[in-house]
Amino acid sequence: MSNPLTRATPVVRSATGLIPTLSSRGGGRGTRLFQYLVIAAVVVFFVALPYLGVTKFQIGQTTTILIAAMAAASVSFLVGEAGLASLGHGAIAGTASYGIAWAYKQGWDTGLSILLAIALTLAVSFIYGLLTMRTSGIYFLMVTLAIGMLIYGLAFRMSSVTGGDNGLLLQRPEWINARDNWWIFYYLVLALLIVTTLVLWVVARSPFGASLRGVRDNEGRMRSLGYSVSGYKAAAFMISGFVAGVSGVLGAWNTQSVSPESVNVETSILLIVMVILGGVGTLLGPLVGAAIVILVKFTVSSYVDRWQTLLGIVFIIVILLAREGLVGSVTKLSNRIRRRRARRAAGGGIPEAGASASNVSHT
Amino acid sequence: MLDPVFIAQQALNGLSEAAVFFLLASGLTLVFGLMRIVNMAHGAFYIIGAYVGIAISALTGNLFLALLSAVVVVAVIALITEFGLLRAVRGQELPEVLLTLGIAFVVGDVCLWIFGGNPENLSSRAMPEGGFAIGSASFPWYKILVMAIALVIGIALAIVQNKTRIGAIVRAGVDDRETISAMGINIRWVFTGMFIVGASLAAIGGVLDSGITSILPSGGNEVLLKALVVIIVGGLGSVSGAAVGAVLIGLIDVFAKVWIPELSYFTIFLPMALVLVIKPTGLFGKKS
Amino acid sequence: MMSRKMSVRARTFAVAGLAVAAALTLAACAPPGAAPEAPSTAKSGTLKVGFIAPTSGVFAIAGQQMEDGWKFYWDQAKNKAGDITVETTYEDDTGDVNQSLAKAKQLVEQDGVDIVVGPLIANTASAVAAYTFSQGIPNLEPVAASNNLTLSGANDLTVRTSSMGGTQANYPGGEWAATKGKAKTAVTLCSDYSFGWESCAGFKQGFEAKGGEVVKQLWAPNGTTDFSSYVSQLQALNADMIYVATAGGAPGPAFLNAYSSSGGDMDKLLLNCCALDQGTLVSLDKSGNGDKIVGVKSVSYWAEGAEHPATQAFVKKYTEATGTIPGAYIAGGYMTADLVAQVLKQKGLVVGADLVSSITKFKFDDSIFGKVSWEKGNNMVAPVYVREVKRHADGKLYNDVVAEYDNVSQFLGKDPQTVIDRDKSQPYTNSFQG
Repeated sequence: MSNPLTRATPVVRSATGLIPTLSSRGGGRGTRLFQYLVIAAVVVFFVALPYLGVTKFQIGQTTTILIAAMAAASVSFLVGEAGLASLGHGAIAGTASYGIAWAYKQGWDTGLSILLAIALTLAVSFIYGLLTMRTSGIYFLMVTLAIGMLIYGLAFRMSSVTGGDNGLLLQRPEWINARDNWWIFYYLVLALLIVTTLVLWVVARSPFGASLRGVRDNEGRMRSLGYSVSGYKAAAFMISGFVAGVSGVLGAWNTQSVSPESVNVETSILLIVMVILGGVGTLLGPLVGAAIVILVKFTVSSYVDRWQTLLGIVFIIVILLAREGLVGSVTKLSNRIRRRRARRAAGGGIPEAGASASNVSHT
Repeated sequence: MLDPVFIAQQALNGLSEAAVFFLLASGLTLVFGLMRIVNMAHGAFYIIGAYVGIAISALTGNLFLALLSAVVVVAVIALITEFGLLRAVRGQELPEVLLTLGIAFVVGDVCLWIFGGNPENLSSRAMPEGGFAIGSASFPWYKILVMAIALVIGIALAIVQNKTRIGAIVRAGVDDRETISAMGINIRWVFTGMFIVGASLAAIGGVLDSGITSILPSGGNEVLLKALVVIIVGGLGSVSGAAVGAVLIGLIDVFAKVWIPELSYFTIFLPMALVLVIKPTGLFGKKS
Repeated sequence: MMSRKMSVRARTFAVAGLAVAAALTLAACAPPGAAPEAPSTAKSGTLKVGFIAPTSGVFAIAGQQMEDGWKFYWDQAKNKAGDITVETTYEDDTGDVNQSLAKAKQLVEQDGVDIVVGPLIANTASAVAAYTFSQGIPNLEPVAASNNLTLSGANDLTVRTSSMGGTQANYPGGEWAATKGKAKTAVTLCSDYSFGWESCAGFKQGFEAKGGEVVKQLWAPNGTTDFSSYVSQLQALNADMIYVATAGGAPGPAFLNAYSSSGGDMDKLLLNCCALDQGTLVSLDKSGNGDKIVGVKSVSYWAEGAEHPATQAFVKKYTEATGTIPGAYIAGGYMTADLVAQVLKQKGLVVGADLVSSITKFKFDDSIFGKVSWEKGNNMVAPVYVREVKRHADGKLYNDVVAEYDNVSQFLGKDPQTVIDRDKSQPYTNSFQG
């Protein structure tokens, strides 16, 4: 997956990917092994966290970060693979939250509630896909913004269903809510994050993903080749929406409340911020971005009054200096180091065939 | 509610709302038209302009001075922003939008810090007193003044765009950036100039609006949203589109509040959504 | 190439599968022993307070003022109530529910506070109250105004200490309008969300109970900046009284400016607490429009011009120390601090349910709000004032008292259980006003 932010030309038109990312070809088996080790280390870290003497509160924080990472991953997928930067994913995830909260209010059982939430999310994603079919670039952004505002308005106005500005309160299902088993919810979230990330990764590497990237890079050509461009975009939205929906359900269970803020534009903007900070199209990017934003918002804000200024400045710096995001920059740096080493090893003249290939491939 | 006097009153209300919308939207649409940036910090320029204007109006009691000082302060900030930050990401849509977003975050918070959270209004000494009678109510002269200023600015923009050399350069730059550069005109300074003009228009809008409503540091987001709605309906990049869009939205908003109040939250967003679905480039926009 | 891709993919799956399996296995095993929470009331003789308020965002002024009121009391008392030290940690929730809950969790689980004070915005208050209740921690709400906080959403550990539900606070205004106000017809303009709905419902019920008729109700969406469309409608309707309820902050001055510049009759107006709070008075006076609102009436549980000795002493002290005349948010923060201090002095260091019952049973005849007590649902019962804007000798604008209604309860004379049931099944909306 390549990063639309680093292309010199607008998102949809580029034909050159610039950064070899975690899932790129090239760089040799050594790179791949290293990348897998990093991922494995991260997973092991999170699995072991509750055993490392961390407080229940900190586990709760981590849970929030993991849920946000899942939502950010759904946005990252859409931006990276389909070239669609959406300001509507807050609304999509929030719809799932409302679904599960409403079902709880009606007294439905857990399985049915989850089904309703996901069904609602898919419906909303489909609507997004439908209404954005003919737009791209900045217009796409505006349409997603508009739909998001409409959904916010509905959440506010349909107070008999949504609780209006007061929102709805709910409880987690029994089996993950017992006070003695507080860590079950954490592991559930972690497991689902791993699964959804895998799903997105597999989709990205599949033939569907390849065609999607084709649509992203050159709609006209794909259309002339007979591909249904709108169909691909809509499908991408649904897949991304599904993951966002899962994060919405988990989010509602996490805070045990839902309100119009959940479908706010601000939420969608924060998701984009997370994705950019971490690095579009990278596997660990959403997690890193989510961690930074959540920590600044919830923890740093206790010590720094002007944390919003801080977040804005961090954001500006990242855009200016490290548009690939943190993870992307690290990868870029390590690749550069490796290439230099390889060049030196190969006698200082001929770059490794794999390395140069990785420069122009965009997976 | 079909009494002609009442309708006339509401029409005037709608037009004065439209005047403010136009001032807010014109700056945003100009910047987009030439530079292809949706300046998310547009609301921030409005707020800064408003606060500066309010302070000067309280000090001097003179509206013109208030407008002038607001424009000067905001122009300087816009210059620094464009030169220092935006040039680094020139040409890349998403980074530009996101960068201006970051700036909006910072400005909103800093304004809260400096000015506090109390609502502020333009000093009444800087505003004309009274109004003319319409039915049993009166329509304030101040709003007539705002509409007049908006009209003058609109006409001025149209003249500059169509009848002057700089306008010709801008129009050419909108259509074909490379050729302009090839002609030896430093396109980067044209961009900077346009960005400053856009920000200044936002500042003027802020000062004038503070005589109608109250200003809070968080007000920038609302304003940005309204401006976005107007320029999407009118067409990104078109000043006449901004004018038409402003009038449409202003009138729809006012009359919907009377006749279909259940939808009053949506009156601003439904036209936008409709336009986006039917003709995404807006009423007067060009297909990009 | 194909085989290489396959093996890579297979390897990936294997790694991933292992990870997931490991996670789930661990989860099924003996639970991890997390590090113990910070012990609560670590130092004996100290009450640890967690204070949450929206000090940034749209409601910044309200949150800051609530915090200022609380802080002012403890600064004066040097953080002491008798022998007991009161230690407060302040957090900003920006008015956002998720932020509010995260801060509450931090205060309770990490900082080990004994009580949580705040937050302010209705939905944040409900969410935090539910959370603190589940943790056995008392929650004091100085300025939250949602009906359901002390009706269908009430719990044993949450107390609305120094404010009222929207309906409770505005009902007497309706009664006054129909009687002393001599109005037979009225129109209402309220913000189109739960606070506005509940406030309007209160006015309407009080007005109609005394024989008046509400001819039409207008609802202004949040974020309305230009009220002139509504003002024109209000003028055209030509009723005897115009009741306006908005949230605090920008809408108050915006409405008043639009109304006065449109030639509206200021005598017909009756505003709610927040549309005509000190913040509005200050901002209108500052911009030179202060004289236009002298004589305008409003209804609220707080009046800085009320003639109670405790009120006057507080207003004088606060104004001299800070230069700001205290409005309802400041008063709410201060009053809660005062209440907590008095209870601690009387009972020593009490926490948990004991603290709550001590508070709700406390006899507070001379609070800065007047004579207050607490009722079923842990809601404040207190006077409601009909106020009028007056310029005092110091040249500043104050809300003076024109009529006082004592011991106003949220049940408004009806059977409590009926009211609670109604609140649960049919909360007030813009189409259901009771």
